[in-house]
Amino acid sequence: MLCLRNVGYSKDGRTILRSINMTFREGMSYSILGPNGAGKSTIARVLMGELKPTEGQVFLDGKDLTGLGVTERAKLGISMTWQEPARYEGIRVREYLTLGGKLKVDEDEIRDALELVGLPYELYANRLIDKTLSGGERKRIELASLLLLKPRYAILDEPDSGLDITAGELIERLLDRFRKTGTTLILITHHEEIAGKTDFAYFVCAGRLVKKGFSREVVEYYRRTCGRCLFVEGSP
Amino acid sequence: MTIKVDRVKEYEALLDIYEREGLDTSLFGDRIAAIIISGERIIGLNNVPGVEITGEEMENGVRADVRIADGVELPFPIHLCTGYLKSEGYQRVEFNIVVGKNSKVKFTSHCIFPYAKDFTHEAISRITVGENSSVLYDDEHVHGEGVRMISKTEVEVGKGGRYTGRFSLTKHRARELKLEMTAKLADRAIAELTSKVKAVKDDSVEIKEVLLLEGAHSRGDLKSTVIAFDESRVNVVNEAYGLGDYAKGHVECHEIVKGEADVQTVPLLRVRNDKAELTHEASIGRINEAQLVQLMAKGLTEEEAAELIIKGLLGE
Repeated sequence: MLCLRNVGYSKDGRTILRSINMTFREGMSYSILGPNGAGKSTIARVLMGELKPTEGQVFLDGKDLTGLGVTERAKLGISMTWQEPARYEGIRVREYLTLGGKLKVDEDEIRDALELVGLPYELYANRLIDKTLSGGERKRIELASLLLLKPRYAILDEPDSGLDITAGELIERLLDRFRKTGTTLILITHHEEIAGKTDFAYFVCAGRLVKKGFSREVVEYYRRTCGRCLFVEGSP
Repeated sequence: MTIKVDRVKEYEALLDIYEREGLDTSLFGDRIAAIIISGERIIGLNNVPGVEITGEEMENGVRADVRIADGVELPFPIHLCTGYLKSEGYQRVEFNIVVGKNSKVKFTSHCIFPYAKDFTHEAISRITVGENSSVLYDDEHVHGEGVRMISKTEVEVGKGGRYTGRFSLTKHRARELKLEMTAKLADRAIAELTSKVKAVKDDSVEIKEVLLLEGAHSRGDLKSTVIAFDESRVNVVNEAYGLGDYAKGHVECHEIVKGEADVQTVPLLRVRNDKAELTHEASIGRINEAQLVQLMAKGLTEEEAAELIIKGLLGE
C-alpha cells in the first residue's frame, strides 16, 4: 500500500500542495483528477521521489519513503511516465525499453508491449527516440516501457495528452493489462472520461483534496462543478 | 591487395589491431579499393573498377590521389587506413579525392595509432564531389594516450551533389585535437558534417566546422557533439554562411560537461542573401535533468542513466 500522509509542498513561498492524504491499494486503479494547475503532477512527482514534500510523509507498506530518491523508489516497484517524455539522441526504442540491456526481456515481450500501445514492432523497435518521433509516439513508447517493467505502482501523468482519438481505447487496454499483472495504476488526468475508467478517483483542486471515492461518484461531482474548485478555505 | 613483401609484418600488425578494436577486417579484402599506410610507407594498395588510387611516399608520410570515375556505384566502401605503430614521431598524410559525376561512394577512413605516446599526426584532405554524386565519409580513430592530431578537410560539392562527413573520436583519448572541416556547396548541393568527440583528463579539443552555402537551393547541416570530462578543454566553432538564393543551413552543437572541464561554443551565422535562411541550436552544460530522472524512474542509478545518455549521444 502506497500512501501520502499530510503531504504539503511549497516552492518559492508559494503553496502548491496542502495536507494531501491519499492511499493506493495493491492491484487497484486510481485517477487523480483536477483542472490545470491543481497540483496533480506535483503529487505524482512527490510519489516518485522527484520532489521532496516540505510537509508530511510518503509510506510504502508502512515504511517511510520520504527521504528516498527516484532510483530507490523505482527499485521498490514505483515507476512513472511523465506528461512530456524526454527525447534521447542516439538511443533506439529497443535499447530504451531494455534500459541499455539491463532489463532482461525477450523480443516477443518487446513486440507485445509496443503493439499493445499501438506501435507496430517492425516500424518502431529500431527507431531513434529523438526529434523524429511525434509527441504521441513518444508517449506510447513511454507507456510500453512501463508495461515491460511491470512495476508494483505505475504513475501515468496525463497519459492521454498528445494522443489521438484512440487514447481512450489505449487507456482501457493499459488498465486491463495492469490489472492482469497486479500493478496498481495511478492516473493523472483532467479528463473525466479517462478518470471514469479507473476504480477510484481523487479530485484535487488548488493543491487540496476536494473529493475521493469511487471514480463514478468523483467524476459525477467533477462534472457538476465543471471542474471548478468549490473548495472553501477551512472546510474539512 | 598488393602488399609489399618487406611490409607483411606491419600489415598483419594492423589487422590484429582491427580485430582487437572490433573494426571490420573485411575491409582488407580483394574486392575493397584501399590504401594501407604505415608511418611514411604504403604497405598495401588495391584498386577496383572505377576507382584509381595512387600513392607517393614522402619524408614523413604519404600523399595519395583517389579518382572515382563518372557513374560509379560501389557496393563496398573505399578503405583509407592510416597507421602508425611506433610510440613517437610525426606523420603527415595528404589525400586528394576526386569523385566524378553521378557516382555514389562511401569511404571508411581509419586512423590507427594505438601505441602513441608522443606522436603528431597531420591529415590534409581535399575532396571534390562531382555533379549529382553522393559521398559518405566515415572517419574513425584508434588512439594511444599521446596523439596530437591536426585534421583539415576541404570539400567542394558540385551541383546536385551530396556529401556526408562523420568524424568520431569517442572510444580513445583525444589528447590534443584540432579538427577543421569546410564544405563549399554549389547549386542544389547538400552537405552534412558531424563530429563526435569525447575529451577526458587534460585533453584539448578544437573543432571548427564551416559551411559555405554558395549555390542556390543548397542545404547544409553542421552538427557537433562533445562530451567533456575531468579537466579537459573544448572549443567548438561552427560557421555557416548563407550566400545563395534559398540556401538553407542549420548549426547544432551539444556539449555535455562533467567535472572541471572548460567548454565553449561559438556559433557564427552570416547571411549575405535575403533569400537564404540559417538556424542555430546549442546546448552546453550538464546532462538534461528530465532525461536523467525519467531513466532513474525505471530503476537506473544516476550514473547508469548518464552513461546510457552519453552512449547514445556519441553513437557508441
